[in-house]
Amino acid sequence: MTLREKIPFLAGLLIALGVGWIGFPYAIYQRRPQPVDFSHKVHADKAGAKCEDCHAFREDGTFAGIPTLDKCASCHAAPMGTTVAEKNFIDRYVTPNREPQWAAYARQPENVFFSHSVHVKRARMTCESCHGDTGSSDTLRPYQADRISGYSRDIWKVQATQGGKPMAHGMKMGDCVECHRQKGLEHSCLDCHK
Amino acid sequence: MKTTRREILMFAGGSTVGVLFTPAPWRLITDTALWSENWPGIPKPARGEIRARYTNCSLCTAGCAVRARCVGDQPVALAGVPGHPLTRGALCAFGLAGHQLPYYPARLKHGPAQEAAAAVADGIAQCRPAEHVVTLDLRPGRTASWTYRRAMAAIGNGCYVAVSQSLGGPVAVDLAAARTVLSLGVPVLDGWGTPGNVMAARAGFRLIQAEAVESRTASMADLWLRIRPGSEDALAEGLAGTMTPAAAAEATGIPEAQIVAVAGELAQNGPVLVLGSSRLASTGHTIVARRETPVPAEWRKAAPVTDLAALADGSVRVLIIDESAPGEYVPWNAIGRKLVPDNPVVVTLASSRDGYGRHAKYVLPVGVYPEIADDIPPAVDSVAATFRIATPLVAALEGVVKPEEFVAKAAGLAIGDTLRERADAIHETGRGSLFTYADAKSVAVKDVSAGDFWKALNAGGCWMDAVDEVEKRSLTVAPRIGAATPVAENPELPLVVMLSHELTPASPLLSKMYRESNLRLGPNRAALNPSCGLGDGTQATLQTALGKCAVEVILDAGVPPGVVQLTAWPAVLDLVGPGARAKVVRA
Repeated sequence: MTLREKIPFLAGLLIALGVGWIGFPYAIYQRRPQPVDFSHKVHADKAGAKCEDCHAFREDGTFAGIPTLDKCASCHAAPMGTTVAEKNFIDRYVTPNREPQWAAYARQPENVFFSHSVHVKRARMTCESCHGDTGSSDTLRPYQADRISGYSRDIWKVQATQGGKPMAHGMKMGDCVECHRQKGLEHSCLDCHK
Repeated sequence: MKTTRREILMFAGGSTVGVLFTPAPWRLITDTALWSENWPGIPKPARGEIRARYTNCSLCTAGCAVRARCVGDQPVALAGVPGHPLTRGALCAFGLAGHQLPYYPARLKHGPAQEAAAAVADGIAQCRPAEHVVTLDLRPGRTASWTYRRAMAAIGNGCYVAVSQSLGGPVAVDLAAARTVLSLGVPVLDGWGTPGNVMAARAGFRLIQAEAVESRTASMADLWLRIRPGSEDALAEGLAGTMTPAAAAEATGIPEAQIVAVAGELAQNGPVLVLGSSRLASTGHTIVARRETPVPAEWRKAAPVTDLAALADGSVRVLIIDESAPGEYVPWNAIGRKLVPDNPVVVTLASSRDGYGRHAKYVLPVGVYPEIADDIPPAVDSVAATFRIATPLVAALEGVVKPEEFVAKAAGLAIGDTLRERADAIHETGRGSLFTYADAKSVAVKDVSAGDFWKALNAGGCWMDAVDEVEKRSLTVAPRIGAATPVAENPELPLVVMLSHELTPASPLLSKMYRESNLRLGPNRAALNPSCGLGDGTQATLQTALGKCAVEVILDAGVPPGVVQLTAWPAVLDLVGPGARAKVVRA
């Protein structure tokens, strides 16, 4: 078979590879902007905030997740600065007392029970272990939801942060199992699937 | 350039190979699998704040304290409340899965409420002087029970009928005072009383279980007396000395020497608590009088409790049955003959059609635990009077009927928040203490305001009368729990019926676990000795003097020859009674 005769095969191969590796990831995810242009970096640098100041644990040890508007409004009752993002936040959410509908990048599927308390307090893992450098990001990238399953793209450890820097850990079952196995804490399915 | 078929196939082949080296096909497979987890109809756990809420389980009169782990407003797991003075942090298997009860597939969700109310009104209007309007209460002693009594008093010929209370009156068993418990067929360790209290007291008494079948209680007792079916009273008389040991041995089938030995043990190792026979009295303070939980004074103008047997046959024009709170089932053959022959109105308020819904003209849906607010009468082993409210954890279904309101409206009785009124009446007495579940602390009632008392009862609390105020004395009244009747011979029906207790409704999970696995005897199953001649799993017909029904045969070596063990389920109870005989034949 001559090279000329192989051209259709190679063309198909290359096109498929391009579509599969470049086009497919864009097509499969639905992008949704976050309600507020929030900067973790500004809060960490200027306000000296740490992760747990906003993403706190309740008294009973359960994780509160994304802070509610009350927490934000305790500092942002009035505009702090003159940026457009700050003005939008005050006008759209603080003044009308409307909760921003944040999309959680790391939300696990419904059948998974994940305890932040156990991992942070008992295993003493850092937030960056799973969430990468989200804490130093200057803006919130769009939330990407899988069009078929509906789950967040971050679960798949692909470009967790804007710019393509991968996370230290993915959040698929295999990633959890790998870490548990390394630490000799592989007990049973019911640890997570309750 | 002309494109040939060969080139198209080459291109397709290259594309196929190329795709296989991208994440696309593998990801689509994964995504499709994940998508299938979220199909419509698949329940999704709620998202929200995780918090603890407290209530009391109303599946039986044990009324165990419950700590519910809730996500948002949805209870996702139930547990006991450690430190509770009576329930002691325990929950039975049914209680642990109680939050799933609203999702029972066969649950009744719709019913002709307006039509039934109109029929009841018509029936009351047409009632002749010798006829009655009756409310049958399967769980007496509740606040709703008092409403029924007041409603029946408001109707000239109204009668309030309740199932017999376990000990025949406001008395209680004090297990902690007993050193020996003689149980004649009572499932002491398997659903009787308050599980936590029974297990806490277990180490303090020796349990002698007299029973024909090797029940769970028999297998866990210190001594199992394997008597002949229906010979409980003969054994009691033999132990009491009113029958000679030889005669008792002949009747019960156990050795004379063993009867003498047990009689000696009862005499020496007192106080003795006797459960299940009226022929042998308990000793010491093992059965004590218990005060009634206070009610407002104006409620006392209520109809008395009438025994069903006291009503003349053919005299009940209107019958309203409250099945909303699981309780003892009165067989239909005892009720049906009391109805007037011409067009009686029978309304049952139930969560399924398994009970009286098979006989009633109108079946109205009710809320189930943990959807409805209801109080739980004191448990049989609670020495102190109690007041506990099953606070709703989830919203009730649209369209369910509140039995208390239905009966009051039918009688033209205006009622308010009856639970609150009763709580206020208890508070006014200043007696007893309030135990709150969130902090596991007790405080004297006289030290809290009426508002705080009510608030605490709804947020998870229990009022308990002070034990030192309870009248502790030995009573001559004998317990009637599980009382058996001697069995008459009948060659046509060779098997003696033994009933296993099954009074608690099971959640879908529990019913699936035990009804499909035989961990407990299911409602449609009959346990027989392997020598019965039928195979395990045989589809058979159970015949009694009152009728027949289809059953599946389960072979169990713990069931003696000549006995068929059945679950005390409404359809079965309609066919059998104490001392019943039956036969099981291949269908």
